[in-house]
Amino acid sequence: MRQISASLVVLGAALFLASCGSTASEEQRGNGEGTIELAEFPDRPYWGDTHLHTDNSIDAFGFGVRLGPEEALRFASGEEVTSTTGVKARLARPLDFLVIADHSDGLGATKRLYDAPRMLIRDETLLRWHDMMHESPQQSQRAVAELINAAANDELPAALTADQEAQDEDTLDIWSRHLDTLDRYNKPGKFTALAGFEYTLMPDGNNLHRVVMFRDGSDKTKQTIPYPGLETKVEGLWDYMDAYAKKTGGQVLAIPHNSNVSNGLMFELTLADGSPMTAEYARRRARHEPVVEVTQIKGDSETHPFLSPNDEFAGFGVKGWELGNLPLTRRATPDMFGGSYIREALKRGLSLEQQLGVNPYAFGLVGSTDSHTALATADEDNFFGKHTGNEPAIKDRALQTQNLGTREGRFGWHYLAGGYAAAWARGNTRAEIFDAFKRREVYATTGPRMVVRIFGGFDFTEKDWGGDWVRAGYSRGVPMGGELTDSGKAPSFLISALKDPDGANLDRVQVVKGWVDASGNLQERVYDVVWSDMDRRRAAGGKIPAVGDTVDRTAATYTNTIGAAELRSVWTDPDYRGGQWAFYYVRVIEIPTPRWTLYDAVRFGIKLPADAMADAVAQERAYSSPIWIKPAAK
Amino acid sequence: MNLPGWTREPLVHFLLAGILIFGLFSLRGEEVDPASRTIDVDREQLAQLSLVFERTMGRAPTDAELDQQIENYIRDEVLYREALRLGLDQGDAVVRRRMAQKMDMIASARAETARPDDGVLRKWYAENGARFAPEVSYTFDQLWFEAEGEAQAGLARLRSGSDWRRSGGEISLPASVDAKSRREVLASFGELFLVGLDRLEPSSDWQGPVPSGLGWHLVRLERREPGKVPPFEDIREQVENDWRTATIAARKEAAYDLLRSAYNVKIER
Repeated sequence: MRQISASLVVLGAALFLASCGSTASEEQRGNGEGTIELAEFPDRPYWGDTHLHTDNSIDAFGFGVRLGPEEALRFASGEEVTSTTGVKARLARPLDFLVIADHSDGLGATKRLYDAPRMLIRDETLLRWHDMMHESPQQSQRAVAELINAAANDELPAALTADQEAQDEDTLDIWSRHLDTLDRYNKPGKFTALAGFEYTLMPDGNNLHRVVMFRDGSDKTKQTIPYPGLETKVEGLWDYMDAYAKKTGGQVLAIPHNSNVSNGLMFELTLADGSPMTAEYARRRARHEPVVEVTQIKGDSETHPFLSPNDEFAGFGVKGWELGNLPLTRRATPDMFGGSYIREALKRGLSLEQQLGVNPYAFGLVGSTDSHTALATADEDNFFGKHTGNEPAIKDRALQTQNLGTREGRFGWHYLAGGYAAAWARGNTRAEIFDAFKRREVYATTGPRMVVRIFGGFDFTEKDWGGDWVRAGYSRGVPMGGELTDSGKAPSFLISALKDPDGANLDRVQVVKGWVDASGNLQERVYDVVWSDMDRRRAAGGKIPAVGDTVDRTAATYTNTIGAAELRSVWTDPDYRGGQWAFYYVRVIEIPTPRWTLYDAVRFGIKLPADAMADAVAQERAYSSPIWIKPAAK
Repeated sequence: MNLPGWTREPLVHFLLAGILIFGLFSLRGEEVDPASRTIDVDREQLAQLSLVFERTMGRAPTDAELDQQIENYIRDEVLYREALRLGLDQGDAVVRRRMAQKMDMIASARAETARPDDGVLRKWYAENGARFAPEVSYTFDQLWFEAEGEAQAGLARLRSGSDWRRSGGEISLPASVDAKSRREVLASFGELFLVGLDRLEPSSDWQGPVPSGLGWHLVRLERREPGKVPPFEDIREQVENDWRTATIAARKEAAYDLLRSAYNVKIER
């Protein structure tokens, strides 16, 4: 034994001496403030995915993915990688930012400095504790007492909390290594790698997941570890976020997602135990969760036809997912839908704000992938599958049952190709991207990169397009995510939507309004604001004729011979009532294009069943964050 | 720092890691026997649970919270041991992969934190220089038209001296692009436009029409600057990252090959 220990010392020392820490520059390691010149106003949408899994996620790993954060970052920033199943992949257009959101449960972060062999511990206090613990039970007890005391008085040895060198010694600490990797790929002005994880709260299989995203670099994020999700409460997550902010001076936010498989629990009118919602809960929720992910591979959560019977475009990406919770252990009934879809949640928020003085559901919207392949793909013609078990090398993946706990009801073709998040920021840094999320100046798309910009105010006119309308928008109004105070006049909106330069033309632009009527009931209405070929497509019976369909079902192709490249309008609410609580968000609809299932059917020569075939062509879309209007405080 | 060559051998690391792990358990003297139905939550374990909590929440746990952590730990331990007793670790794809991944991690751990010297990096830079060139950048003015015919007519008007700023259609695209990288031009104008742009030679004249996914463009391409490989000193860090990534991959492979060579594999066909 003595001999082994001796050789251990020698070899351990060699190993230790050879390791000297991370190699990202100071600029890469921080939050990016002061590193690049910023535009006066947010100048373009920065494109990203806030929800990507790699082999650090226990389920992704189980599904077989062998690509880690390094490959994920290389791929998102535009480099070629080889997927787990051996397919070479490169994004035609790189992304601007990425949040790798591996599940906190089971993340390798459980490996701690504390396990380190003695000779790797350099901090004197730690060393003493370590020795005490191995000396006798009594000593050990004293060490623990000292430790807890130190923690309570914020006097923990730096090595336990912030000391980077000490943590680098723990070469197998996945979280710490992960943060170093992020820093190395974080290049202010070019590509932003944000730290994050997925909080996987799932009571009885009802999905209450959140992506947690940090504003800071590893100097701060290394002072924490991801918060576990299973068998906790969301208030615990918020406590964790508060503790992080307090301890480090950094910032962190949470993004709920897949409300569509929450069986009504994501946006409840009450607290989780059925008691009335409190102002305290509402305030905490609003502060910690400013943005919701509305669309991703596992379906779209905008609205359900049951909730929005007069919306002819309702129900995108609802098939299959509407049946019940995530593992389909519990079926959904229509009374649950109100708590599962974001439009209804935004409406509920208005009502709760009237009662409580604070709106728990005043959130902005983003899309993301939730891809478990380490590849942030969202376009229909490059769908890499939900997980490695259905990457494109698998011929009949569209037809396979998706047995997350069941073999009924959900099939491969129910998966969407995944969405992206667009952030209006003044530059591409951690701080700028994060702040755009915080102020909700973000929007969601189901994959295409349309440029969507809106401003709300009270005096916008068509004349504004002739000048510097972006400046006018910011100086005389608020951008998406902002709030207006009722001025006794109908609000007007500058709305501009430019197609994805490499994608399909636009069919139409709509405004979705939700409000509380005079008797306290929640109402919604969808307005067609501007559409292509308006002179030919005239409204009849309150409806605009369909744009048409150029998709060749046998070849999976379409043409941009219908639709428009850009649609713009100044829209004033025709149904404005003074003193109303309302929100407005913009929905941009593309012309019909093939879904990934049709590309697959053509590529592999398989015949889709009738229901899958009927769903193989779709109109992709973008959802802006809302602008709210409320009465002036009395 | 120069270390003897043997310290860089993957096999040495495997041995080292094995010894470390064995040593650690010996020192701690608490090898878990799956057959045992005794769970000792010793003080060290308690300290560890407290520490995990502290690092997560930024404060020490209360007694009740620590009790909860202990309960969770016991629950995991009981189920884990029962699972081992039932042999549930056997043939489990996740367990199998996780173990394999840990081996990979051991092989790559050294390369992740090693600091290669200048000689190593300069050689890497010399061999892989082209990878470090920045992207091409473009400076140009552009006008947008919905249809090719309109663009042709616009070109004729420009050539007869009309004010270019009023000659194109209205669209939310920048009229002037100043020294933007290929990536940024791609983000705003799309792939098709870039293909057309690369066919033009810089000139003070208007050229085109160039097609894009948005319509047709007239372009006055002032400059197209190819990216030059910066001197080694300016991009040392980038070279090091590149070297590290490649080295990690190579070491995993080398370690695997070494182990693999000791196996006699028979595949029945």
